[in-house]
Amino acid sequence: MEETVVAMEELDVELSAAKVETKPIEMSTKGVSVWFGKRKILENVNIDFQKKSVTALIGPSGCGKSTFIRTLNRLHELIPGAALAGEVLYEGEDIYRQDVDPVQIRLSIGMVFQKPNPFPSMTIRGNVLSGLKLSGIKRPDHDSLVEQTLTSAGLWKEVKDRLNSPAGDLSGGQQQRLVIARALAVNPHVLLMDEPCSALDPASTLKIEETIRQLSKDITIIIVTHNMQQAVRVSDYTAFFLAEENQPGYVVEQGPTTEIFGNPRDQRTLDYVNGRFG
Amino acid sequence: MTILMSEVPPIRKEDIAPQRPWSRRPASFWFAAFLGTAVPFAIFGGLFFVTELPVPVLLIAFYLPLQLIGAGLAGYSAKGKHGIADSSIIVLAIGATTLSAIVLGSMLLIIIVRGFAAMRPSFIFQNSVYISPSTPLEYGGIGHAIVGTFLIVGIATIISVPFGIATAVYVTEIRGRAVPYVRFFIQAMSGVPSVVAGLFVLTVFILTGVLSQSAIAAAIAYAILMLPTVARTAEEVLKLVPEDLRTGALALGSTRARVVLNVVIPAARTGIITAMLLGIARVVGETAPLLLTALKNDQTVLNPLSDPISALPTFIFDNVAQPYPDAVTRAWGAALALMILVSILFTVTRFLSARKPRR
Amino acid sequence: MRDLGKSKKANFGDRVFNRSITAAAFTSLIILAGITIFLGAKAVPVVQQQGLSFLTNTMWDPLGVPPEFGIAGMLYGSLLLAVIALVISVPVSLFLAVFMVFMAPVRVSKFLTNLVDLMAAIPSVIIGLWAFYVLVPPAQEWQQLLNQYLGWIPLFQNDSGNFTGTPFIAGVVLAIMMIPIVTSITAEVLKRTPPELINAAESLGCSMWTMLRYVALPFGRGGIVGGIMLGLGRALGETVAVFFVLKLVFDINFYQIIESGGGSVATLIVSKFGETNDEFEVDVLLASGFFLFLMTLVVNAVANLIVGRTDRLKS
Repeated sequence: MEETVVAMEELDVELSAAKVETKPIEMSTKGVSVWFGKRKILENVNIDFQKKSVTALIGPSGCGKSTFIRTLNRLHELIPGAALAGEVLYEGEDIYRQDVDPVQIRLSIGMVFQKPNPFPSMTIRGNVLSGLKLSGIKRPDHDSLVEQTLTSAGLWKEVKDRLNSPAGDLSGGQQQRLVIARALAVNPHVLLMDEPCSALDPASTLKIEETIRQLSKDITIIIVTHNMQQAVRVSDYTAFFLAEENQPGYVVEQGPTTEIFGNPRDQRTLDYVNGRFG
Repeated sequence: MTILMSEVPPIRKEDIAPQRPWSRRPASFWFAAFLGTAVPFAIFGGLFFVTELPVPVLLIAFYLPLQLIGAGLAGYSAKGKHGIADSSIIVLAIGATTLSAIVLGSMLLIIIVRGFAAMRPSFIFQNSVYISPSTPLEYGGIGHAIVGTFLIVGIATIISVPFGIATAVYVTEIRGRAVPYVRFFIQAMSGVPSVVAGLFVLTVFILTGVLSQSAIAAAIAYAILMLPTVARTAEEVLKLVPEDLRTGALALGSTRARVVLNVVIPAARTGIITAMLLGIARVVGETAPLLLTALKNDQTVLNPLSDPISALPTFIFDNVAQPYPDAVTRAWGAALALMILVSILFTVTRFLSARKPRR
Repeated sequence: MRDLGKSKKANFGDRVFNRSITAAAFTSLIILAGITIFLGAKAVPVVQQQGLSFLTNTMWDPLGVPPEFGIAGMLYGSLLLAVIALVISVPVSLFLAVFMVFMAPVRVSKFLTNLVDLMAAIPSVIIGLWAFYVLVPPAQEWQQLLNQYLGWIPLFQNDSGNFTGTPFIAGVVLAIMMIPIVTSITAEVLKRTPPELINAAESLGCSMWTMLRYVALPFGRGGIVGGIMLGLGRALGETVAVFFVLKLVFDINFYQIIESGGGSVATLIVSKFGETNDEFEVDVLLASGFFLFLMTLVVNAVANLIVGRTDRLKS
């Protein structure tokens, strides 16, 4: 029994070793702890995010995954009472350093939220280009940008004939892909996704997952998900978060997705990925 | 190979304390902000001593534009191009806030200061019989106007509150087909100018000889102005009554009427009192309808049906532009009395609506 | 059987209750219809006797043979005052509301809410009193300076040298009355901006200005315009505060806002009502009130349409 476990472990290490070594680190957190007011939400999170890979953050509700992902592009600080310790490194630089412009960080590190949130007052095209207006950056040739980002988000074919209709006319799944296109239009290197499929039906979920796999060829993706199958399907790496009652959350175990799901070392990880709690 | 919690580096000591690195601004920002405020202020100060321009003109024509430029520079140094618009918004917002605060502050201050000059027991308790605008302040008062205000507002409340509650009950409890229309009419009625309400009462009741200019006529005009406020506030509070209270009572065999009268309205008691007080606050200072429907009277009038009657707003109106300082002081005194009334209503409604409805 | 009888009785009670509540709910309609019919009935003979010149003429001659009345200057004046009030109050209100909702710390924001509500609660007669004694004396000097330096702009022309009772001052007073109305409605609307849209804008690197420009203001546009129209309706109908600060003249003062003299229908009614004993002149005032009523009704209906349309879009 013990021997087989070891054998499987070795196999998995071999499988994932290739990936680990070929990909440099795009982002990493060093000893990140997070507070809201006096309440500590997260403690000592250390994760490396490899370039052009998908990292899934899994764990039961309320363990601080969504809070964590918002510290990665400095959205966290917009909530009154927010505080933080540790370093969030992007291309080797701490994004919380004083001379760093949070706007530049948010442009380099895009985000997609739980609920599809296209701007209701804008058209489909207007939504894709909204990032340019909001951040004031200029990019030539809007038409090709719209086509290119909508194609990357897997939505171009469905909407190319009605780019000027309101975004609200789209279905939930289409809206979520539109929001992905909107995030891509400002040319981010990292895309954060906070449970992007939790409000969608299974068919739309599969489409988004396909989009995620396609996108990961070009950019780094960090995705929070409650859906363990989804984590297995889309991610290369997984970090498992956990929080005891009224205690700050922490990362129990992290590593290649195949190992976290196939051969976890911590009993709690094993229980969670097998659906025994959470 | 995965990494376990125990294998990650422990927290470094300096990282244990929560920090807010985003709230620190670069030194260049503080420098620019200081210059951007100090320079306009210095120029403002210089102009104040050199020229004879009035302060508000200096503020708007010189200080504000300079401050905008200064803030723009500070914003630019902190956030780049975007900082210019953002800091301008902050300057203009603070400007708008200050302006409103100054207006309100100067109103309250002058009412209190000038009003106190008139205040004495006789001013509150006496009426103005045998008092001319030039009579010294020691004689006469606004007793009759206070009585008039209470009488008119009291009758208006008695008239408008039942109709207001009925309208709200129709919208929230009966939920008939006409709900959108009823709400539209209530909305439209809230836009009726107070002088038009006065003209309506004048045409229908006074010119036809049904009523003379009196407390009751004025109260009808006030009630017209109160109704939309009472109805809309009552609607809001009836909506807050939990649905299970209604279904529970209906399940016990109550009729719809009993549910409304014995369950819903008692449950929303506080809210309905708030609605009534808001309605009173809406009309208590209205002057135009009284000028048409109540006229004035120096006597204390207790009969609402027959005689012309003075109230606080009309007393102020009559005394504002008099060439006699004592008459003007009486106007300020009456304004203080009216403002005290309004403040009481304001505070009580605040207090009542701050209390959470019982669930 | 007894049960059946009882429930019949209960049904009867319920029906009476329903009917009387329904009837009472239509009070507002009855009053609105009453105003239209009764004031309209007074307006008909006036318009018949004076012709359309009642609305286009600027004469006010109750003693003439025949007497001549025209309220063109008053109607135009009401609109002019409302526009001045609008131009002053809308920017101030928008900045105030934006500051309250998006920028100020919670405690400051609460304080400002109270300040605005208290401002809304001050009776117009007290605002008029304040304006007459506190605002008008220094404002004459401000207007003089405005005329001195910007007099080449037709708007700031003044031929008489008299800077009292100008439309500008009356407009400022109306603006002070509009600011709390527009501010509180705008703040309510801005507060309802969905947080997920603000999140989206933040994640796309917005600044405060671009967030307002592209997200919050487009989302709240209907409600804000509705609030402005409500304030405008209030400004059109305001009577006594204007009475103290505006010199009523029947000629139309088209654009010289710092020239003494302007018009206001509502103020005309109370000022002439106190002076006249002539029955026909009272009818003329009632007819003027009718047109004032129509004007505010239109403004309010437009406000309602705008607000209602956006509410439907959002649901």
